[in-house]
Amino acid sequence: MPTHTIVFENVTKKFQLQNHKTFKELLPAILQGKSAYQPFTALNNISFSVEQGTALGIIGSNGSGKSTILKLIAKVMTPTSGQITVDGTVSPLIELGAGFHPELSGKENIYLNASILGLTRKDIDANYDQIIHFSELGQFIDQPIKHYSSGMYMRLAFSIAIHVNPSILLIDEILTVGDLSFQAKCYAKMEEYKRKGVTIVFVTHDLNLVRDFCHQVIYMRNSEISFQGEPVLACQKYQNDQNPL
Amino acid sequence: MSEIWEEIINISKRSELLRQMVGREVKSRYKQSILGYFWVILNPLAQMLVMSFAFSLILKIPTNASPNIPYAIFLYVALLPWNLFASSLSSACNSLVSASALITKVYFPRTILIISSIFAKIIDFIFASTILIGYMLILKIPVNLNILWIIPIFIIQQIFTLGLALFFSAANLLYRDIQYLLGLVLFLWMYLTPVIYPADLVPQNFRYLFQLNPMAVIINAYRQTLLGGGQPNFLSLLTALIVSFLTLYLGFLYFKSKERVFADNI
Repeated sequence: MPTHTIVFENVTKKFQLQNHKTFKELLPAILQGKSAYQPFTALNNISFSVEQGTALGIIGSNGSGKSTILKLIAKVMTPTSGQITVDGTVSPLIELGAGFHPELSGKENIYLNASILGLTRKDIDANYDQIIHFSELGQFIDQPIKHYSSGMYMRLAFSIAIHVNPSILLIDEILTVGDLSFQAKCYAKMEEYKRKGVTIVFVTHDLNLVRDFCHQVIYMRNSEISFQGEPVLACQKYQNDQNPL
Repeated sequence: MSEIWEEIINISKRSELLRQMVGREVKSRYKQSILGYFWVILNPLAQMLVMSFAFSLILKIPTNASPNIPYAIFLYVALLPWNLFASSLSSACNSLVSASALITKVYFPRTILIISSIFAKIIDFIFASTILIGYMLILKIPVNLNILWIIPIFIIQQIFTLGLALFFSAANLLYRDIQYLLGLVLFLWMYLTPVIYPADLVPQNFRYLFQLNPMAVIINAYRQTLLGGGQPNFLSLLTALIVSFLTLYLGFLYFKSKERVFADNI
């Protein structure tokens, strides 16, 4: 019996888009009898489950609800209705360099960012050398990161994120960072995670990557799951919908 | 109540995060400034000197109950904790909004953002207090064991601050007006609290209102124990404690009721 690490049951996520950010805008709206909120459905009654060790790809056009799924798994958002079960430590690669402060040094930011991602001081101390080694920053580690190039910045951020040792890894369109050799290193690291049996949920527009890397794909369309299954079939369906010729 | 215990346990599991967030706040503030952390001492000192000039030399506000105390010290004993209160609230009020990138991406107990911004201000307060201690030593102001009362007084102040901070930060996330409203409230509140004047100048028939203002009780209690060498008024302090706990409880409930939609609305 395979264990499911992520289970979505009839999950709906509606946003109450606030039309008014200040009282000045809110008051006239209430007086005119308008609702202060505008509902928007990002996910409409979706259900799926992910077995442990699966690399799941999520594809679909912009605004189809892909990132909302990741945010629900990361528990950043709560569903409007339905049940979500997530079993294991989640490392969100949604935002690289969360909480980075430009005035602080690379070293200080490693401790800051890693603690945001949920590491204890002991974990960080144990992984510190590896993080620096992987990021290839070497001597720059004591410099404030505002002096870093954007490539160096992303390398540091990515290198911290992958050393969190999660059992569930969430990735949102990030592997366009760094130069080619660093990208190759990142893919190698992801393959390593896949072999170790880490559950990976992967949002991307890169269909080649999806075909190569994922065991299973969910194709999102208009806030609903349009297809779930074989990567090749899912990509085909997505491409057909994109170019209906 | 069980929700509060749950939150405390969750926060204690993320103690490293709390420490890092305090460190981030403290370390980053004065980077690329020449005087650096010295500003923390310089600011209230300059404030105290100017206010002493205006209120003592020109307006001649008496120090009543403590006649031998120069007005500058009389003021500073109240000004430091007041500044701590006011700056903690303003900084905590914006702490959720300025961490919007974190709130929409990573999960952790959100109360850590509020608590860490208050802790950072407490560290400032400790540095700023060194001037007061030095000043009191130079003027040989007698102190006795009653000085230990400042510990429970300080704790009551922090309970009250945290309660208000939870309310204002969550409200400010939903409506950005709150930060401006808070600025106005703090400005008025300072004059309704015996910071620049002694509590016994307050007319008798307004006294009961002051009892209900925990900051008035707290500020007055600092003065009684530090400068008068006496004990605080226990009944007033107990009232302040109850009001503070009630504020914390209600603030926490409000925060929790809005927490689910933080990431949707920020």
